[in-house]
Amino acid sequence: MGERLPLVIYFLSMVNWAQVLFNSSVTGCIYLISAVGLTLTYGLSKFPNFAHAEFMTLGAYAGYFLADQLGLGFPSAFVAAFIASGILGALSYRGIFQPLAKRGASLIHLMVAAIGLGFVIRHFVGELWGWSPRSFKVTWSAFDIGIVRVSDLWLWLIFAALAMAGLMHLLLTKTKIGKAIRGTSSNPELALASGVNINRVTLVTWLVGAALAGIAGLFRGAGTRLSPMLGWDILLPTFAVTILGGIGSFYGAIAAAFIIGLAENIGVVFLTSFGISTEYRMAIAFLILIITLILRPGGLARMFR
Amino acid sequence: MDPLIYILDIIVFVGIFAIVALSLNLEYGFAGLGNFGKVAFFLTGAYTYALLSQIGLPFFLCLIIAALISASIGFLISLSALRLREDYLAIVTLTFGEILRLVVKAEHWIAGGVWGITMPSAISWAGASPRMMAAANIGLVYFCLILGFILVQLVSNSPYGRVLRAIREDETAAEALGKDRFKYKAQAFMLGSGLAGLGGGLFAQYLRFIDPYMFLPTVTFSVWIMVIIGGPANNWGALLGATLVELFSRGTRILKDYLLVPIDPNNLQYILFGLLIVFILLYRPQGLLKESQVKTKALEVISRWKKHS
Repeated sequence: MGERLPLVIYFLSMVNWAQVLFNSSVTGCIYLISAVGLTLTYGLSKFPNFAHAEFMTLGAYAGYFLADQLGLGFPSAFVAAFIASGILGALSYRGIFQPLAKRGASLIHLMVAAIGLGFVIRHFVGELWGWSPRSFKVTWSAFDIGIVRVSDLWLWLIFAALAMAGLMHLLLTKTKIGKAIRGTSSNPELALASGVNINRVTLVTWLVGAALAGIAGLFRGAGTRLSPMLGWDILLPTFAVTILGGIGSFYGAIAAAFIIGLAENIGVVFLTSFGISTEYRMAIAFLILIITLILRPGGLARMFR
Repeated sequence: MDPLIYILDIIVFVGIFAIVALSLNLEYGFAGLGNFGKVAFFLTGAYTYALLSQIGLPFFLCLIIAALISASIGFLISLSALRLREDYLAIVTLTFGEILRLVVKAEHWIAGGVWGITMPSAISWAGASPRMMAAANIGLVYFCLILGFILVQLVSNSPYGRVLRAIREDETAAEALGKDRFKYKAQAFMLGSGLAGLGGGLFAQYLRFIDPYMFLPTVTFSVWIMVIIGGPANNWGALLGATLVELFSRGTRILKDYLLVPIDPNNLQYILFGLLIVFILLYRPQGLLKESQVKTKALEVISRWKKHS
């Protein structure tokens, strides 16, 4: 290690930190869009929905189907991803999780059912589109802003994440349904007693959450490649964002998404400079997840009340 | 392919996964622990076995050490993880399994990374035919399975096992009776991890080749399906579940090969598994077999006395 240190310092001084910062926000934006749905459904239905991964996968493939296979152009992919995943989320809640909860299923049963549902969707996608990776035909133009290399897909992603955050903020604070979501999440009995239709609120949350997951999956698929494992590959980082932000906390998730994005991208720089395999990129989010759960299971939520 | 070998192969796999299902049954069925990272301990056992057998240790020592190392890793995990809520425990164990898989995948010096590792045959003698080899493997696997079954059966029926069930039903009540729930949970977790490690060791021993892609989270969930279908807290149920799941997964492959179903057998298998688990949780959450009753001398006397009066 001793003789490597000058090399490491040289390497770190050569890194384009502005680029790292930009990449971090790109990573953070995908995690944010996917985590918002997860954190809201987790807060409301009180169980981690492992099938959230497959909501992302289906969104990506639905977008691919409309945009590339039917040739309707990339903007139509957003509509397809939003609608397909949203419907899937609402159906899963109505068809599986609500009946299970009514029958008094334990937390572990709900989690196992979510995994079972995930299997069904993942292999259904695998059957329809095959297991070999696919990619969008669209090519993204890359250009330089100052010293940072960006592509228009990433600018769209950042725009979408900001728009989503703004809209969700307005939804949660200004509208009746948004206030009902927050109320039900923090105290279901009280919300029920105040005349909130909990079933409807939960259904809407599952619909919106899954639809956003679909958008996140679409961006991931457009930025890398599509495969039936697409959602699973970013599920645990999404969980890391959800847990670090505090379950059910939308504002916590925003902060956590950028913390995890930064940690991953800065971590990769350090991994390369120390000559460690970049396969460990994922392990960074995993470690943050485990450490948060063990040391501070409430996450950052207390700072965002 | 020789059809007899094919059948023997199924029998070996049923035995290996029955051991892992028993270990999860001990953790989840009796102690109520949602371990979603079973594959981590299976992996530990398999890689320990692979590395030790390359040094040239005899296979039984490799198996024993594989189980011990898995058990100690289970113990280390349980120190911090068992104090967590159920859903957090699930996420932590799931993530731990993925981290472990990342490590064996990225560190080529440990065991070949993505290319996997091959190991010498443990049971071989001059003039052994493939059938005889398979039969010998069945002997080894079922010897371990019977030992494991007796162990778990004894544990679950003993006063110790009843404490585990009490903690599963009501932690606070058990604590009020002076039972240290963390100690009991940690011991159950350790024992379960050791058994899963033994299963992993046998898996590596039988295949003589392992790579990181054999230890995807799907392994964990197959084992969960076995336990939930068979009936949690019933060891016969775990055996039944392992048999059904293994036969089912072979069945879908046969369906593809001989009946020409136009669906990829792997997809079909997991779609049906997923639907099956959801239906079981909805309509028969206790599984096929009911929770096994505790059998003690005192209970026998009471039931006889009840009959008389």
